[in-house]
Amino acid sequence: MTAIWRKARVLFSTQFALTTEYRAESIIWMLSGTLSLVMMLVWMAQAAAAPGGQIRGYTPAEFATYFLGTWAVGQLLVVWVAWELDFEVRQGALSPKLLRPLDPMWQHYAGHAAERVVRFPVMLVLVAVFAWLSGASFTRDPRAYLAAFGLVVLGFSARFLWEYSIGLLAFWTESSTSFQEVVWLVYAALGGLFAPLAFYPGWVQTIAVWTPFPYMLGLPAQLLAGKASLADAGRGALVLGAWLLVFWFVRLAVWRVGLRKYGAVGA
Amino acid sequence: MTRYLRLIRIFTGATLSAQLEYRANFFGAVLASLGEVGVALLGIAVLFGQPGTAAVGGWSFHQALLVVGLFMLTEGFISVFVQPNLTKIAEAVRTGSMDFTLLKPIDAQFGVSTRYLNMLRVTDLLIGAGLTVSAASHLPVTPGGVLTAALLYLSALVMVYCIWLALSTTAFWFVKTQNVSELFSGVFGAARFPVTAFPVPVRAFLTFVVPIAFITTVPAQALTGTLSPALAVASPLVAAALFGLTRLFWLKAVASYTSASS
Repeated sequence: MTAIWRKARVLFSTQFALTTEYRAESIIWMLSGTLSLVMMLVWMAQAAAAPGGQIRGYTPAEFATYFLGTWAVGQLLVVWVAWELDFEVRQGALSPKLLRPLDPMWQHYAGHAAERVVRFPVMLVLVAVFAWLSGASFTRDPRAYLAAFGLVVLGFSARFLWEYSIGLLAFWTESSTSFQEVVWLVYAALGGLFAPLAFYPGWVQTIAVWTPFPYMLGLPAQLLAGKASLADAGRGALVLGAWLLVFWFVRLAVWRVGLRKYGAVGA
Repeated sequence: MTRYLRLIRIFTGATLSAQLEYRANFFGAVLASLGEVGVALLGIAVLFGQPGTAAVGGWSFHQALLVVGLFMLTEGFISVFVQPNLTKIAEAVRTGSMDFTLLKPIDAQFGVSTRYLNMLRVTDLLIGAGLTVSAASHLPVTPGGVLTAALLYLSALVMVYCIWLALSTTAFWFVKTQNVSELFSGVFGAARFPVTAFPVPVRAFLTFVVPIAFITTVPAQALTGTLSPALAVASPLVAAALFGLTRLFWLKAVASYTSASS
């Protein structure tokens, strides 16, 4: 046990040192993910112009709260491991990592987690500024924050594993990152990045509840807005947990099969 | 002038034959284009899908679709013509290979702006053109409107190029600016919607601070005949001013270039 703990600590601290070196880039990446903010502004204007000043019970301020929530949650769910794997497999940078007595996945996982630590304080400041500008107001119930955090951890891990599986497709194709973009679209749509899930047609909602996406993005945002209960969070955590397990084995399978296919560059 | 045209032909030929080597990547590029257009279409589909919503920011569905079409077209222009060239500036400054560009007996700005093409993303252009035409076919469009729109869109493309060039040129001082262009894409994402769909303060920001309104909204307004004359005149002027300013900025940057070893 202590050996595992020591490995985790070393991985995390080296990756943390690495990301603080690239902190400016982290912040640029953060600012470039503006889809939630754009949708927020459009929906706010749309609600303000609608008769009664609301759409489906959402006032401009409630839209602001929801979309700022998705923005903040989305910031914590960002995963770029598919690009790194694509690079490592094609350039052969994966080879030295295979010699270590540790699955290379953990290094990437620690890197992503460490980047969250760099990102988090900047994100809090920006959320505060945006909330002040847009009139968003978040819940004061600390349990909602804990529940949202739990869902984000589960959601991030699930997303990390599916992105990792897509990244591993680099063993077979050079277009693995393009698959990533299409999957991202499904994640964004069903997660609720364009609108709260209740705004979608009924059949889309029926499909969405069986996928992990609404529980990792929309649900935490609704918890922060005070619009979802802890029971919802519990149900969401169960579905996410099940998907996490599925993705865990998918990743493992793709990794084992892919590795046999891997002929390092120059070998 | 003919020399520059001949050079463009040679550059295009060279970059095409290089890319035809990697034909398999085309499939991936198509997926990426579909992802891009999916985001833009889903955005407006959900907005118009709400019961009782006939307009977004005063724009009907087909008018908004026109904006999406122009957005995709611009996205395609960036990925085919602008990005492949200008993202290489930062790398060339860092490694010092900018020396070779500067030593050639052609204008250096022309050299860094026209050398490469990314033909794989031509699908973006096709999807954009298709969306624009199909949206326009549902709207009352006059030949005069089309002509004005084409001219205004040309100014829009000049603006896009200038903003990209200005951002990439900062590499001469800051070296590591590869993802400054990401910042542009972030703001440019707002061009998926007509600028009137935003709250008033944001609208002003998107018109006067970053000229996003001129890129998709203004040409679309020209097509639908709802453009105010003031904006119609402003667009080419803004484009010309930006072009002049970025030219000066570029010359200043090149003058301060000291190559990699010094």
